Amino acid sequence: MVFRNRQAIPWPGRTVYKGMQRLQLPVGRIPDEALLAGLATGDPELAVTFVRRFQHTVFGVAIAVTRDAQLAEDIAQQTFERAWRHAQVYDARRGSVTTWLTTIAHNLAIDAVRSRRPEPVAPEDLDALLDVVTETPEQRALADEASAALRAAVAALPREQGRALAMAGIYGMTAQQIADWENIPLGTAKTRIRTAMGKLRATLAAPGPTRTGPARPDHAPDHEPPDHPPPDPAAPTPDPPRPDPTSPKRGGHD
Amino acid sequence: MTRNLTCEELRDTGAELALGVLAGRERAEATAHLDRCAECREYIEQLALVGDGLLGLLPGTEPPAGFETRVARRLSQAAAARDGHVVARGVGKRRERSRRGIRLRIASAAAVLALGLGAGGWAVGMAIENVAAGPARPAQTVPNMLRADLTGAVAGHREAAGEIYAHPGSPPGSPGLVFMSVDLADAGIKYSGKVICLLQRSNGTTVRLGTFHMRGGDAYWGAPASVNLSTVSGVRLTAADGSALATAHFSGR
Repeated sequence: MVFRNRQAIPWPGRTVYKGMQRLQLPVGRIPDEALLAGLATGDPELAVTFVRRFQHTVFGVAIAVTRDAQLAEDIAQQTFERAWRHAQVYDARRGSVTTWLTTIAHNLAIDAVRSRRPEPVAPEDLDALLDVVTETPEQRALADEASAALRAAVAALPREQGRALAMAGIYGMTAQQIADWENIPLGTAKTRIRTAMGKLRATLAAPGPTRTGPARPDHAPDHEPPDHPPPDPAAPTPDPPRPDPTSPKRGGHD
Repeated sequence: MTRNLTCEELRDTGAELALGVLAGRERAEATAHLDRCAECREYIEQLALVGDGLLGLLPGTEPPAGFETRVARRLSQAAAARDGHVVARGVGKRRERSRRGIRLRIASAAAVLALGLGAGGWAVGMAIENVAAGPARPAQTVPNMLRADLTGAVAGHREAAGEIYAHPGSPPGSPGLVFMSVDLADAGIKYSGKVICLLQRSNGTTVRLGTFHMRGGDAYWGAPASVNLSTVSGVRLTAADGSALATAHFSGR
């Protein structure tokens, strides 16, 4: 929340409540967007409520990417601090508060992992993650229709496409890193990412009744074109620039 | 020098762009194409939603014990530092991004946090400890905070159009704050432009709280309220020409 508007009325002094009904507002009822705005009050109750409401999700993203509890806690804490500092760039039209926080946490986690480890993921972690993403009974039960459809669509991807999707979408690996990791041509890595994303996009775009049904398993191997043109050796290939964590590309709050 | 991509070429790398993993020249070429192609922008936005959805599938995990206390304390300390070191200004114009203003505010808060804060910070910390102590309470409350439904000023009927809160300020004696989430679109009002927020007092007078910008009937906004909130009976939102957009009446009056 930014205090920038000098049109605000000067504060005359201490508020006195005389004869006024003391409204005991259950803060759990405050909508996410209003709670984010209310953080600016400095009210401890609102701060705790905000953190309590989102910590499960934020920490879940951080631990999934970093697989390090201490690092994940640092990232989760940074996420809340950045959300507080940059609440003014949050745009409710472009995604929920949860999505916004998730994206901040994700970007921070990827940056943290990149600065600490040469390899962002271990094979056993990747497979475990895919299993969790596609088969979590608790989440399945709670998920909305779109999430359930997306989960089913991810589960229906050929394993190699699911792995490429998770490496790019969750661990932030470039196509080149995926190609190196999977020992496949760069073009194949790109095709796997593109094909997987295309299938998930089609799932989200499908009308409700179609979306709710389980996605048809597609275990045919991906027949990629032989390869894309080789990368320009002059082109910079290191880690791509991550969007500013407070104005994430994903979620559209840029 | 970047090459001009065709739409077909953009779609070859669009998934990587939407996931934030496209680097270097490819990224530059793709973003240059998006600058001039609305259709491909829409395509990339759809893919970005897929990326968001993918992250949404990650299971939630409870952080270590005491996490919420530590984080909430830092947030409240930062708010206290801001109030103590930065002149309180309106919250509005959130879409007008004064980078310089943001940097100054961050620097101020960070500097105070680095110094460990003084008595005010300690008091905030104690308040957080009290709030967060023990198991989660099912119904936390903020004493004296007012809440009301906003209703859209639609001819013939009144439609729900968001919620508004009036916070007395914390700690006592601090400036109060009015904040709101407005969704006039649901009430059939897709107004875009300047909005004036007026506080209505019980004695019939009004005080202009501030202005903010709305797009398509949607906004959320807040501003310091340096009036005695015990005398405030409601809020009125109007367009720049004075026509009513929404109203709210606080209960318990």
